[in-house]
Amino acid sequence: MLKQLLQGNQAIIQAAERAGLGLFAGYPITPASEILHELVGKKHIKVLQMEDEIASINACIGASLAGLKVMTATSGPGFSLMQESIGLAHMMEVPMVIIDVQRVGPSTGMPTFPAQGDIIQARHGSHGDYFPIIFYPNSVEELYRYTFSAFNAAEESLSPVILLSDGYISHLYETVELKDYPIAQRSMPPLGTSNRHFTGLTHQDSRPVTSSPEAHRELLAQLQKKCTETSRNYSFYEYIENTEADTLLIAFGALSRAVYQFKDKYALFRPIRLFPMVEELKDVASRYEHIIVLEMNAGQYCYQIERLLHREVGLVSLPGGKIDIKEISDRLQGLRQKLPKQVSVS
Amino acid sequence: MEDTVRFKRFLKEGNLPTPWCPGCGNGQVLKSLAQAFEELNLDKHQVVVVSGIGCAGRSAGFFDLDSVHTAHGRAIPLAEGIKTANENLKVVVSSGDGDLLGIGGNHLLHATRRNTPLTIVCYSNEIYGMTGGQASPTTRLNTKTLTTPEGNRDVPFNVQAIIKAHNCFYARSTTFHLPHLKKCIVEALRHPGLSFVDVITQCIVNNGRRIGFKDAFEMLMYYKNNYKINDNAEFLKDNEIGITRCAGV
Repeated sequence: MLKQLLQGNQAIIQAAERAGLGLFAGYPITPASEILHELVGKKHIKVLQMEDEIASINACIGASLAGLKVMTATSGPGFSLMQESIGLAHMMEVPMVIIDVQRVGPSTGMPTFPAQGDIIQARHGSHGDYFPIIFYPNSVEELYRYTFSAFNAAEESLSPVILLSDGYISHLYETVELKDYPIAQRSMPPLGTSNRHFTGLTHQDSRPVTSSPEAHRELLAQLQKKCTETSRNYSFYEYIENTEADTLLIAFGALSRAVYQFKDKYALFRPIRLFPMVEELKDVASRYEHIIVLEMNAGQYCYQIERLLHREVGLVSLPGGKIDIKEISDRLQGLRQKLPKQVSVS
Repeated sequence: MEDTVRFKRFLKEGNLPTPWCPGCGNGQVLKSLAQAFEELNLDKHQVVVVSGIGCAGRSAGFFDLDSVHTAHGRAIPLAEGIKTANENLKVVVSSGDGDLLGIGGNHLLHATRRNTPLTIVCYSNEIYGMTGGQASPTTRLNTKTLTTPEGNRDVPFNVQAIIKAHNCFYARSTTFHLPHLKKCIVEALRHPGLSFVDVITQCIVNNGRRIGFKDAFEMLMYYKNNYKINDNAEFLKDNEIGITRCAGV
């Protein structure tokens, strides 16, 4: 098996190429730019450097409809610009992969520092209701592996699938075994074969229906069902049990690598599919008195977990790009003393 | 089928009527597009129509071929994605002036720079019609609209200059000069790079009636009397319509 020392962003490229990527459209942005410029010159992959991220995602939508597997990559500010058309891609049921290498925000923030501030943006950034599948790996090997999953889930769900990364793991170098994973085929006939009408308007059988609440609810239910059912085939998480521990720590992405340090004192749970949330967490959480979420933002995923588990959850909030073991250890100690003992009601 | 109605094969007659107001010129542009496809004897599976948002944005849904109705202003980059993925397709953008020149203006600039082989048909009614009549990028100086009650102070977008700055194909016609409009679209479709057809079309309900026109017919008569055809110009004057020369093509 071929082993290579790769940067996180390069691992995404290696996997995308093997998964059948046909077109990439993007706009330079740190810390995602390598994906754009290292794809240039690859055989069988068309690369478009567009004028902005809005154009990039729309070029991807067009190329996907025209028959190619497509991908774009960006960071927070560019991801914000893409939001409207992410909604369009859900509405028109267009498969694609969107890589968001998170950096410290809001706004221009700290361009080279890692963050996890796009969790809610990835889930709810576009207007209206939609149900995206979102993965967040924590190593270079996982970026490689879950890029395949992202392409496959996109075809299966006919929707844009988001692969979150962060400035830390995307710029990390690790050895990766370049395994072959199963690859889904294109799931829809390309443009130029029929008389379909793809529209962002509420529609039924390829025709706009703009004044029927029933039609809209039916369409939403259909989109939700499709993404939720697909996500069950991609139920990825890591659980490190600790029968001695009374507290379960939840972390993901770059920060979860630091949290491994605490596995002697705590049990650890790492969701890899952030949305739809992995149901298995309910069962795991019920075995622990305390739940603490650690994340590099002000608590975006913590609130989601409270909603899933219907119980109080502690938060160690670490925005600003800094991962410091001593700081995490102290914050955990302090927080544990304050948390009330409770057992899950579910 | 009789030759004169053969163009109807490009339209979804079952989806008619369109949502456009009585007197609107958009239907004529839609028809001219279908007639141009017919004149070039195109295969339905060879053409894809892409539109943006607004009145003209609804046009894509009336073509009996694969069509895409995109987000506001995004028809051009989406069309570029289609064309890059499959260069055998004729990709036609069919949208309005607010969509293509306002919210989507930056995409137009860069598409002309790349000279992507698209045919862009701009339904230019000088107003945001669907939202009730606000000033658009092509609203003329001193025109009163909902957002310019004292008269428009901003110079209208010089789309001809933008398109020709990168040596792309530019033609202008009106919904009165229908044979000429069809000819412009046919020539645009034949052009190997980016082509832009600027169609002056009447919006009586949310523009014309507010600026002194009694009905759509009066607007069409204004087009008839005001515009002279010049198909051999380097650069069209304000009162001219025509197909401009494209250096080196």
